[in-house]
Amino acid sequence: METLRDAFDFSDFSKAERIGLGLFTIFLLVFPWLGAGSFVKAVMIQFLLFSLFGMGWNTIGGYGGQVELGKAQYVGIGAYTVALMMVWWKIPFWVSMPVGVLIAIGYSFMIGYPLFRLKGHYFAIATICTSLVLQDIFINWKLVGAAKGIELPIHDHPDFLFMQFKSDVYYFYFIMALFYAGLFYMNWFRKSKLGYQLRMIKEDEDAAESLGIDARWCKIKAYSIASAFVAVGGGFMAVYNLYIDPYSVMDLDLSIKIALMAMLGGAGSMWGPIIGAAFLIPLDRFLGSWLGGQKGLIGVDFMIYAAMIMVVSAYQPRGIWGIIEQFRRKGA
Amino acid sequence: MIILDAIIQGILMGLLFALVALGLTIIFGVMDIVNFAHGEFLMIGMFTAYWTSLLLHVDPLIALPTSAIVGTLLGVASYYWLVKYLLRGPMIAQLFGTFGLMLFLRYLAQFLFGTDYRIVQKGLLVGKSLSLGPFILDWTKLSAAILSLFAFTLVYYLLHRTKLGRALRATALNKEAASYMGIKTDRMNALAWAIGGGTVGIAGGLLVNFWYVYPTVGLLFVMIAFASVALGGFGSIKGAFFAGVIIGMIEMLFPVLGHLIGSDFLGPHFKFTLVYFAYFIIVVLRPQGLFGWKH
Repeated sequence: METLRDAFDFSDFSKAERIGLGLFTIFLLVFPWLGAGSFVKAVMIQFLLFSLFGMGWNTIGGYGGQVELGKAQYVGIGAYTVALMMVWWKIPFWVSMPVGVLIAIGYSFMIGYPLFRLKGHYFAIATICTSLVLQDIFINWKLVGAAKGIELPIHDHPDFLFMQFKSDVYYFYFIMALFYAGLFYMNWFRKSKLGYQLRMIKEDEDAAESLGIDARWCKIKAYSIASAFVAVGGGFMAVYNLYIDPYSVMDLDLSIKIALMAMLGGAGSMWGPIIGAAFLIPLDRFLGSWLGGQKGLIGVDFMIYAAMIMVVSAYQPRGIWGIIEQFRRKGA
Repeated sequence: MIILDAIIQGILMGLLFALVALGLTIIFGVMDIVNFAHGEFLMIGMFTAYWTSLLLHVDPLIALPTSAIVGTLLGVASYYWLVKYLLRGPMIAQLFGTFGLMLFLRYLAQFLFGTDYRIVQKGLLVGKSLSLGPFILDWTKLSAAILSLFAFTLVYYLLHRTKLGRALRATALNKEAASYMGIKTDRMNALAWAIGGGTVGIAGGLLVNFWYVYPTVGLLFVMIAFASVALGGFGSIKGAFFAGVIIGMIEMLFPVLGHLIGSDFLGPHFKFTLVYFAYFIIVVLRPQGLFGWKH
């Protein structure tokens, strides 16, 4: 019971933050009825999806302070489990998604155990390596479609069991539900024992260990939580896009995007990943469709994106949320 | 015989890998920063040599100094315009900062040159080979190996036999103590980035003779360089050299072994997977690497 109360209790946030969250919720609820075009709706879905990814990354990367750059492999595990179980055995989404999450958790423990012997740069590069190895295996594995990927069968009628709908509205509300589940979980997580232990480890790992915290085990737990979050999103990607391949769900760029969004918004804060996604996803999409459409301007969107990353990491490593807090403290 | 051939080819390739890893290990050794943009420096070195040779109608080998100069300038510019500011922040900011630089350079190249795969068509050595008994060695690879060995010796000499090199190594060992001794550590950092950029520029100029150049070519080489640096020990120059050669040999031997055993799973498309996997195993089992002295 206490867990539930903690999850829904936002009273330790400032009034402005609570009002902001309330308005944001109302906005999301009425959004499909505002008459936005299908492109804008797709951007919104992407935004919620990446917020979910970012929240997951925030557990290990933000609260735990570990530079994790291999989240794409868990997106891939989630997406491939859903897609393969649907294509091979016609198993509905509601069964295959939890299975995917369980596989992701199991795999994360397997990888995490040796991985968290490492620290700092070694750890960051090793996470990239594990993700690239898995991607290479999937690119060459004929059984799972190799580099061509998998197409999910399209049903004639909307099917709730297989999450197939004619309209984006249903997908929107579904990812919104996942987003809020994630948000409440994170609200509980930051107040949980593990949350405090992770922040302690981030501040000073040796001091944390001397207080009897098993730092490595805490990190592994946080890592598997992050992996579970990301695998849920991966499962959603499979049914939403109806097509997956190793490049779209397992690429290094995806891992980086996930980490960057959380980092740009403000790693280790509740709203950071959401702000980061709200900033970068529309930028990415609109710049991409605006500039990418013009011939000869390929890559300019990513250049702007990269320039922002450099500026933020050089001047305010705590991200946009850090800047907001800085202003608030000056105002107060 | 086929194995011996693979070993020789591997050593040739490995010398180039070692040269790529050299800059990475120097920068890491001096200032504890992993330069993710290192592969992109290589890519720019490759493009520089490519365009110089194409537009000025000279051999890519003659274009080599331009690659070195561009690489050096790039290294110094990234130090003074970006890395200097990153040093104030936490490690995560440093990682993302160089990551941002990597993305920026990659997409700048894509914007300027498009995503086409390009290769040098004409050159003194392109397409020619030397046959030594049963072995056939491409002149491009052979000259690249010799020149990278030369560059390596030069840097080694610079670091171990000159006053400047001694100052640089002092900065790597203890920044504060070095600055008390009157060493301008800020300049030493810049020097590390200059050497790092310059050597990887040369490596790019050599590589373009026999490798396709395209904007994302850097990723593969930077991962190989990470593996070499991890194997040799972060910050160790000797380590980078031997590790580069070892990884070059693994990369060439692996498909041959797969061919001999007749296993599909040991095919050539997994040879770089092996490099990533090797990095993981090495850092987990022996974090200090073969010749590591830091950490």
